[in-house]
Amino acid sequence: MAKTQVDDINRSIYNIKNEDNYSYKMQKGLDEKIVREISSMKNEPTWMLECRLKGLEMYNKLEMPTWGPDLSVLNMDEISTYVKPKSELNTSWEDVPEEIKNTFDALGIPEAEKKSLAGVGAQYDSEVVYHSLQEDLLKQGVIYTDFETAVKKYENIVKKYFMKCVPAEDHKFAALHYAVWSGGSFVYVPKGVNVEIPLQSYFRLNSPESGQFEHTLIIVDEGANLHFIEGCSAPKYNKVNLHAGCVELFVKENARLRYSTIENWSKNMLNLNTKKVIVEKNGVMEWVTGSFGSRISMLYPMSILKGDNAKMEYTGISFAGEGQNLDTGLKVVHGAKNTASVVSSKSISKSGGIATFRSNVVVAPNADGSKSNISCESLMLDDWSVSDTIPVSNIGTDDVEFSHEAKIGKISDEAIFYLMSRGLSEEEAKAMIVRGFASPISKELPVEYAAEMNNLINLELEGAIG
Amino acid sequence: MEKVTLNETPRRTSKSFGINNYKIEDFELPEVKEFTNVTIDSEIEIEHDTYDFKPKFSIGNKLVNQLNNGNQKLYINIDKNVNEPIVIDFELDDKQNVLIDNVTIKAEEGTNATVILKYKTQNDAVDAFHNGVCNVTAKANSKLKVIILNLLNKNSENYYSMNNKTEENAILEYIIADFGGRRTVTNYYSNLIGNTSNNSVNTMYIGTGTQELDQNYIAEVYGKKANIDIEVYGALKDTAKKNFKGTIDFKTGCKKAIGNENEYCMLLSKTAKSKALPMLLCSEDDVQGNHSNSAGKIDEDKLYYIMARGISKKEAQKLIVKAKFSGVLEKLQDEDLKNELIEEIDKRLV
Repeated sequence: MAKTQVDDINRSIYNIKNEDNYSYKMQKGLDEKIVREISSMKNEPTWMLECRLKGLEMYNKLEMPTWGPDLSVLNMDEISTYVKPKSELNTSWEDVPEEIKNTFDALGIPEAEKKSLAGVGAQYDSEVVYHSLQEDLLKQGVIYTDFETAVKKYENIVKKYFMKCVPAEDHKFAALHYAVWSGGSFVYVPKGVNVEIPLQSYFRLNSPESGQFEHTLIIVDEGANLHFIEGCSAPKYNKVNLHAGCVELFVKENARLRYSTIENWSKNMLNLNTKKVIVEKNGVMEWVTGSFGSRISMLYPMSILKGDNAKMEYTGISFAGEGQNLDTGLKVVHGAKNTASVVSSKSISKSGGIATFRSNVVVAPNADGSKSNISCESLMLDDWSVSDTIPVSNIGTDDVEFSHEAKIGKISDEAIFYLMSRGLSEEEAKAMIVRGFASPISKELPVEYAAEMNNLINLELEGAIG
Repeated sequence: MEKVTLNETPRRTSKSFGINNYKIEDFELPEVKEFTNVTIDSEIEIEHDTYDFKPKFSIGNKLVNQLNNGNQKLYINIDKNVNEPIVIDFELDDKQNVLIDNVTIKAEEGTNATVILKYKTQNDAVDAFHNGVCNVTAKANSKLKVIILNLLNKNSENYYSMNNKTEENAILEYIIADFGGRRTVTNYYSNLIGNTSNNSVNTMYIGTGTQELDQNYIAEVYGKKANIDIEVYGALKDTAKKNFKGTIDFKTGCKKAIGNENEYCMLLSKTAKSKALPMLLCSEDDVQGNHSNSAGKIDEDKLYYIMARGISKKEAQKLIVKAKFSGVLEKLQDEDLKNELIEEIDKRLV
């Protein structure tokens, strides 16, 4: 039987390549001089420089991962860790330089802001070029700003939380991140404030052979509610680019945070990102993630359920096409009573792509009454792709309900015949099944993003249907 | 004494998850002396011969080397249908407390047989060391059932490898009871090379006191329409620890193969620890792979229902564990053996 031909994602929008115009591009490589230089260019307080040096020290000390995708393509000596775009931070879209503005316009960012976002941050290479927040949220005390500004303007609060969720010791690329971080967002939602419309940061890496190391720190205070969206893309170059961002999230008592990511990096990108949340009593964390781009991804958002009744939900999809190795999943620690985690993960692999689901669920001895339910499904569209599931559970108490299930396989012939008996062609039937497979994830995304994701999938399938 | 790393998984994951391998800090290979406490009950002749054991995924190099210089070498060539089970009984006692057995079973084409390998200690005080391997080739159209019973006491060290190859249409069924050993490390490997070959593994394990179990089950599926089923049921009590690692690896070309893997761990006390890694590796799209694992305490409703009938909590727990194991016990198709195991379960879950 003919296989569904699924073409590569149409990347024409994302591939808009601007000239490598910058006001400053750090020499390639990584050493103490470079770290000090980044810090002094940013005019940082000493404690931040100390954090950077700690990061560098750990980076040199920690070994490369002994598992997962082969990272030998990465040569730090070839990567420029800091690229300052030819733009200052703007609060008016009109002030953003033409070339950069056009890129974000093509990606639909300001359009989305008008329609459905309460605030937007846009980062180009290493610096944030645009930031805005709705007036009424400002009045309610919501802070949404780029990370450099936060370090200066909200120094005390940043100092209190920075590096506290993800320590530099976490792994080699978290350490690297701390040494050279630049850009990113800082969000603080005060007690009881409900941010009804999402905030969004968009990260664009234009400069070749460079790295993006944005730091995102979000604190959702007691009883508050926030939906934060992160989008990323980059044009395709032949040389390797590196993304080693870090996301530190704090969900306080009775608070709720939804963190959605649509990652569509180009296929020369190594996406070695770190994301982690600490959830206090009765807090709720929701991860929604779609991984479509990058050459190699290693991304496992971690949730520490620290307070009683804390909850975590993870809904994710990854789509590994030609030349891609997407190693994604999650980690969760049930560290208090009656904590709960629900995970639904889907992956699609095709044209030789490798999709791996990797997870670790830890239930601490004191986490009585906890529940964890993990479900993963993998769909393979041809016989030369790879789909692996590597889930670990570590259960330290008897008073727990833990279950994990996973399925792997191709589109079932029965389902195709059923749809064909209803008048669909074979290709249409297959395409419909692939869309249906992804639908539980797209349902969790805000409309614009669900549309973007469906477009990505439809574009490929249309190519197949003709 | 030395440090050793045993039972590496076929695919590594993060070191910090602590499941890629099993480390022992105070490992010591004992001196290998003569071992004669073997009872063999068999219609067919068994040779005292050995074949070099060269596993693809080894339990650990030192243990494999030792297996190739063991004190019990048995070669069972099944060249005709065998109606009664072939039973080989090994008993370790104070004098003969080290058993290194290398058992090779070759089921010739079209034959049908059952082999039972039983390992026990004479009493609870024996300080025994057991390192064994069961090396199976199931030729085309053969049907072989292998029953491995680890009934050693809780003082013993137990290392066990199973290494299998199933050829076309072969049906290989394993039933494993892993009850003994202060430390029990099990390495199971199947190479499903033959089209429509079928391998099923049904394991029940018990860990009480300070027992530790590390299980590394690996099945590589090459044959078209091949079938692998791994079912593991266990109960942990006191401060017992268990790591279950199960991998089904669908290789390119194993069209229409099916693999199922299911691990179920009952936690009978707060301090027992259960780790699991049920892996599915897949490089062929036309397959069906499923796995599931679950852990938790036994259903309180069931427990109270039974207790309401005047049965103590401990007895009620035992009943529920035995009920969970009943599927595996029934597969033995031997009442005496089944009763013997039920007695063992009762004794161990005191």
